[in-house]
Amino acid sequence: MQNAKDSFYMALRSRLTTINPERTILLRGAVRPGIVVEEAEAPFNQLPNDVYVLRWLGVGVDVDLASTMAAEQCEILYQTCGTRSFGGLDRGRLMSQMDEEVTTMLQPFHTPKLNFTATPPAAMLTQVFWDEPAFGPLAIQRDRLSRSASVMVYSYQEQGE
Amino acid sequence: MLADALLRSMTGTTALLRVTGTNTDTNMSELGLVATTFADVVVSPVVMRKLRPSWQEGGQSKWELFVSATGVQQQVSALDLVSAQALFAMTLTVTVGGQDYLIESIASNEAFGQVYLYRLLLREARQQAV
Repeated sequence: MQNAKDSFYMALRSRLTTINPERTILLRGAVRPGIVVEEAEAPFNQLPNDVYVLRWLGVGVDVDLASTMAAEQCEILYQTCGTRSFGGLDRGRLMSQMDEEVTTMLQPFHTPKLNFTATPPAAMLTQVFWDEPAFGPLAIQRDRLSRSASVMVYSYQEQGE
Repeated sequence: MLADALLRSMTGTTALLRVTGTNTDTNMSELGLVATTFADVVVSPVVMRKLRPSWQEGGQSKWELFVSATGVQQQVSALDLVSAQALFAMTLTVTVGGQDYLIESIASNEAFGQVYLYRLLLREARQQAV
């Protein structure tokens, strides 16, 4: 499942650079596209604003198939306080923009599965595919708006995985 | 300087800030495949105190670390960083007396517009696999 998780993240990351190249984050001394895998970073005491945080949750496996299919739930968390130049009054607009970016990033709903432990990443035989996102309600905490979108990511287990 | 003297008089010790370096292989490091390069930055004098315990199932102790602003400023200059906040943002763990801690929040005390003390709220880091 790790290859599927890696491929999913890298697909979203590369799509984000096309959709909104301005959305970046300075993390560990490097400027990167504004999407991070929570479990691959230092623990956040507070989630960063205006970037997407991927959090991997539940796992399921279907073995009653020709190939074992694994599914993992990915929660995409994002939040914004608006911009300083608008005094935060544009936070609703920014949240709408992030909602649209999530919808766009997830399309098409598949990507080739790659093995990132190899250099360069090795293409595998199957694809990683996922459902349409289920958007959660907007959470308002004073000046901060946050939302999560949940996606089920599926992949077939290949030999050696 | 007065803050430094006070910290030293209260059994002031040293703390190691484990900071991350820039990794050129972003793909691998973003996926947690390659360990980022780390460096240990020494700051002193520091004084640590345990916060009032409020026991919770599975909860971890919280600590407050008083760090001399001059000690921090020396490292900020040595690392060519823009501010102390940048140094703390790069910090993965804080090690005091061989125990690792994670930073929960950062506050500072000022006098006459100058920061003389940083107060880091810390949580004990869990044991990591070797």
